[in-house]
Amino acid sequence: MSSVAEIDIAKTLQVQLPLGLLGFEPIKTYSLIAKPDQEPFLWMSVPDGEDLAFLVVPPSFILPDYAPDLSDDDADFLEIRHPDDALVLNIVTLRSGGAATVNLKGPIMINRHTMIGKQVVLSRSDYAIQHPIRSA
Amino acid sequence: MLILSRKTGESVVIDGRVIVKIIRTDGDTVKVGIEAPSNIPVHRQEVYEEIQRANREAATRAPLSQVPSLAHVKAKAPAAHPLSSPATNQNHSKTV
Repeated sequence: MSSVAEIDIAKTLQVQLPLGLLGFEPIKTYSLIAKPDQEPFLWMSVPDGEDLAFLVVPPSFILPDYAPDLSDDDADFLEIRHPDDALVLNIVTLRSGGAATVNLKGPIMINRHTMIGKQVVLSRSDYAIQHPIRSA
Repeated sequence: MLILSRKTGESVVIDGRVIVKIIRTDGDTVKVGIEAPSNIPVHRQEVYEEIQRANREAATRAPLSQVPSLAHVKAKAPAAHPLSSPATNQNHSKTV
């Protein structure tokens, strides 16, 4: 079980992606790392010093009414029975000049109880792959 | 590449696990139904490639300590800590 207390103490949590991220299929395990000065952003990094990491953000911080549909198959695969079971994270791309975009089309859906997740592709949506994050 | 002719309503079985069925044709559009186990991802090729490209672009190949500060990237008003409360997407449904 993932709990707040665990996060606060350890600041890391493992996520299993049995199918990997698209383009990174061989990598099945990531550590979720919260750095206090970077919240609400989190790092999904490859354990064992592979120097590969993805910056992710819960979409509620970017687009409060973001409502990704989970297919029945994906819900079964992830054993997500209720929206509250899902931890949704979207991958952020840092771009030159301080700009950043977030991928709203391919969110990572994680069962917060099992911490097993999958990058799903939203088929019927207008959500952008490169949704700009507004700078301050 | 294996090329087969199929009529509407006919199917192709791949590896005994994946069924591709021709549902309907309309001009140059072919509607196919795909039945595959949930551990076999099925995507439209162009969307798959687009997400793959986006992931590669997003991949940061540097030690986390060397990653530039995110101070310039401002998300909107934080609600609760992302890991402390259930996802708030109440609209999130299991519909196909």
